[in-house]
Amino acid sequence: MIAGGTDLLPSMKQGLFAPRVLIDLKGLRELDFIRFDARRGLEIGALTTISALANSQVVAREFPVLHEAAKTVASPLLRNMGTLGGNLCLDTRCLYYNQSEFWRGSLGGCIKKDGAVCHVAPGSDTCWAAFSGDTAPALLALEATVELAGPRGRREIPLAELYVNDGLVRLTKAADEMVTAVRVPAANAGWLGTYRKLRIRQSIDYPLAGVAVVMRKRADGSCAQARIGLTAVNPMPRLVTASDRLAGQAYSAALVEDVAREAIRVGKPLKTSASTMEYRRQMIQVFVRRALTDLWRSAN
Amino acid sequence: MGQPVLDESPIGARVPMVDSAGKVTGKGIYADDMTLPGTLTGKILHSPHAHARILSIDTSAAESLPGVKAVVTGRETPVKYGILPVGHDETIFATDKVRYVGDNVAGVAAESAEIAEEALRLIKVEYEVLPAWFDPEKSMLAESNLIHEEKPHNIEKDYHHHFGDVEKGFEAADYIREDRFFCPEVTHAALEPHSTLAQYDSEADAITVWSSTQVPYYLKLNLASTLQMPEEKVRVIKPLVGGGFGGKSEVIPLELAAAVLARMARQPVKITYSREEVFYAHRGRPGQIVALKTGMTREGRLTAVEARIIQDGGAYCSYGVVTILYSGQLLNAMYEIPNVKFDGYRVLTNKPACGAMRGHGTVNTRFAFEQQLNRMASVLGIDPMEIRRRNLLKPPCMTVNSLRVLSYGLPECIDEVEERSGWREKHGKLPYGKGIGIAGSHYVSGAANAIIRSGAPHTTVNLSIDSDGIVTIFTGASEIGQGSDTLQVQVVAAELGIGLDRVKIVAADTARTPIDLGSYSSRVTFMAGNAAIAAARDAKNKILTAAAAKMATTPENLLIEGNQVTCRDDRRLSMRFADAVRLAIVDGAETLEATGSYRPPPEATGGKFKGGGVGPSPAYSYCAQTAEVTVDPETGQVTVDRLIAAHDCGKAINPICVEGQVIGSVWMGLGQAVQEEMMWRNGRLMNPGLLEYRSASTLESPPIDAIIVESNDPEGPFGAKEAGEGSLAATIPAVTHAIYDAVGVWIDTLPITPEKVLKAIDEKRKSEIWKSEARSQN
Repeated sequence: MIAGGTDLLPSMKQGLFAPRVLIDLKGLRELDFIRFDARRGLEIGALTTISALANSQVVAREFPVLHEAAKTVASPLLRNMGTLGGNLCLDTRCLYYNQSEFWRGSLGGCIKKDGAVCHVAPGSDTCWAAFSGDTAPALLALEATVELAGPRGRREIPLAELYVNDGLVRLTKAADEMVTAVRVPAANAGWLGTYRKLRIRQSIDYPLAGVAVVMRKRADGSCAQARIGLTAVNPMPRLVTASDRLAGQAYSAALVEDVAREAIRVGKPLKTSASTMEYRRQMIQVFVRRALTDLWRSAN
Repeated sequence: MGQPVLDESPIGARVPMVDSAGKVTGKGIYADDMTLPGTLTGKILHSPHAHARILSIDTSAAESLPGVKAVVTGRETPVKYGILPVGHDETIFATDKVRYVGDNVAGVAAESAEIAEEALRLIKVEYEVLPAWFDPEKSMLAESNLIHEEKPHNIEKDYHHHFGDVEKGFEAADYIREDRFFCPEVTHAALEPHSTLAQYDSEADAITVWSSTQVPYYLKLNLASTLQMPEEKVRVIKPLVGGGFGGKSEVIPLELAAAVLARMARQPVKITYSREEVFYAHRGRPGQIVALKTGMTREGRLTAVEARIIQDGGAYCSYGVVTILYSGQLLNAMYEIPNVKFDGYRVLTNKPACGAMRGHGTVNTRFAFEQQLNRMASVLGIDPMEIRRRNLLKPPCMTVNSLRVLSYGLPECIDEVEERSGWREKHGKLPYGKGIGIAGSHYVSGAANAIIRSGAPHTTVNLSIDSDGIVTIFTGASEIGQGSDTLQVQVVAAELGIGLDRVKIVAADTARTPIDLGSYSSRVTFMAGNAAIAAARDAKNKILTAAAAKMATTPENLLIEGNQVTCRDDRRLSMRFADAVRLAIVDGAETLEATGSYRPPPEATGGKFKGGGVGPSPAYSYCAQTAEVTVDPETGQVTVDRLIAAHDCGKAINPICVEGQVIGSVWMGLGQAVQEEMMWRNGRLMNPGLLEYRSASTLESPPIDAIIVESNDPEGPFGAKEAGEGSLAATIPAVTHAIYDAVGVWIDTLPITPEKVLKAIDEKRKSEIWKSEARSQN
């Protein structure tokens, strides 16, 4: 299946996939929509482009974390082509995997493709290639669900259950299923939110680490609830459960630091990209701290 | 679209480049755009091993694949070649060994790309894998298992220069500093990948090649030698080139491979590299280790400099011997340094060959030198602008290593950036996290000695003027986007006193244009510019002599302006330029022919010592540059906010081109400073693509102010010198200096990743805590 093709086509050129038939989904106009209703929440069709998401006023107003995350995806041209469904189902990435057929062949392949060895974690029987989508951590923090459609009908699962923390498996979605829509509960509308992305270039680059934070505050400025999603530091996007400690608390730098430190335990980057794992972990801590602090201390 | 007719001289005019229309509309023809009837696709089989002996190659399955028209291996291509006469160590395809991952093993020409790729898969190669060398400091100790048997210790070449007496110089110093710098390998990343179309004429036994090259003439020579054909049977045509930056300044394997395959298949063959293959063809800037020792008086006067430089050259010589010499020789000609010692080692490793890249050889050494100078200024409490002023050359002069400097705009460059940047209000006075830095750099305006030494001119320009007064320039100089064609049109129009629309140009076709050595070492403006002037003067002389006879005056009493030949003492007496040309055309001819050439003066060709021929140039460009940065002390991220570069180009014949070149150089230097690096693991390039090899996106590209300084070189065409390379090197130390000003740390290893900055900030903090604890305990 191909929608925007921004992930699939470069990979096909590198010989990572050689499908005999590609089904172009772009004609399914009914899956290209953004709907918001104060009672039913947000619903986004899987074929909505990242640009449409980034430019949506209702998303910007009600779900700023998703708005910010969408704005950081790749570059303007790629955002015009890439879709939300594609971004959520993005293949995991690794310096030993995203290479040409010649390059991979010169090393005898890797555990994810044409080989038996993991070059970043020799001896590992799972693949550590990092999930590198930007919108997933934001949607995880918003407790999104995804709708899957296939020959056995439709089913809806929490977004968190779409992923498997192993680059060999990646998704629980069956091969004959496709993501058709993403839903965010109305209860999570209007939360404060921000997305911080570690990258070398401020455009084009995939994240080396990404932190999505949402927070609902009480009238007295204390935190009612907060959630933190991480990307690009594991084979799947993950939530940092330590954010539960913030519920009902007044702002405290020590508490923020505590949660930021806990976030590092959730992110386990390996040497799958240009930057070192130590630096990527350090930045998770800095970004969580900054994001929490900014949201907590912001005016509203 | 015609060129505007100017009332004033075209010299210094902001006219658009003559080839810009096709580039803007997309109609311009580059090598990969071209196809001849029956053109086959060529593909190259590359080595998967960094170092291995080839035991056998079986091409039979590939040859019998339908659609395959030719298969070639090293057996058919035994002739060694290389850009330097001392470095003939490559063959088109490996004959005995492969020496890097990506080395060329075999070639295929087929009816489609898919068939060619399938044929490559069918070629069976048996290798005996050999231990490989990746670290130059280890490689240069090698006793056995050499990369090239004839190069002991894997050292391509070493040079040991000593000018003056550095021991005495260091004795006279009040402050001596030693630092070690490391600059990893970077590459050109030209937008256009290499591409070559070759056509073989079996009746004439002749070959024509259209190629993305900066050096059509050298390509012709190498095609003739490797194909074992007479030179006159080889024709090289350079179409539009989408950027070279040195990556196309020597013969690249695909150029020869396409020709060999075309001759075998007796059909045209085109090869265009994938981006990954461009990285393997490489010829970029080598990784370089600089151990630098500088002495100065407490007033900041340089007394001695000693440099030990190791370059990681990759598996073949390429320009290596020249690169290592530039890295030492051009320590000089920037500032007054009385005593200089240089030990340089060009080392072979099992990686793609490094070669010439913008700022050839000078950039990494300049980074080290300027960084150390700034560091010493900071320790001595001397303003970094001032310390440079205290060490200026006093031209006209000859440096200790026999480089002749006539024009020298560095003082004005320093003044300009100091003024424009608000240096006095900013340096050392900005809040923590903000900083400003300065550095300088320079470059040659063409190498005074040709790669192949001979007494021949470095370039010749011919003019052909028809009876309508239309001038056609025939030049071998290669337009690669830098403005070569435009410059020659402007120079000829100015010298002849006619409009730009009266001048056409035919360039870089070895069958039609005279010899020019190529677009490298920033030589075209100075050398082809001077040859174009000489040719125009020859034409003018003939025209005015003929007109003078008709007008009953002397040639000296005539001038050409505004397409008219006019009497100086009686302006009413004049005739149309075209009429004067008609008078000058000899009986029986249709056009007036004129010619001019350029060879550098002997005084500018350098010293008689070993290696003294590299570094000398008829003129040097100069640059001073300031950088302003913001550093995030928690993430180590550096944002470059503004760059100001003042460049002494002698005279800006076309300010648009000069500014474009300066901005481009600075931008390229910025990439090397903060982002770009070829990442190796066990001889395998981890980032052979533009997603992971990160040149700056528009968002990391700050405003760059290009300021033109004109020192009017006495030998330059209308006073001009180079503009395309000299501003690159200064960007790197200017940025590192600004980082020091912002957060107090010096980064000696490139690129300046956030991680390195953060680490340095943390270490500085720890050492300060340790120091204050130590103090409080005392």
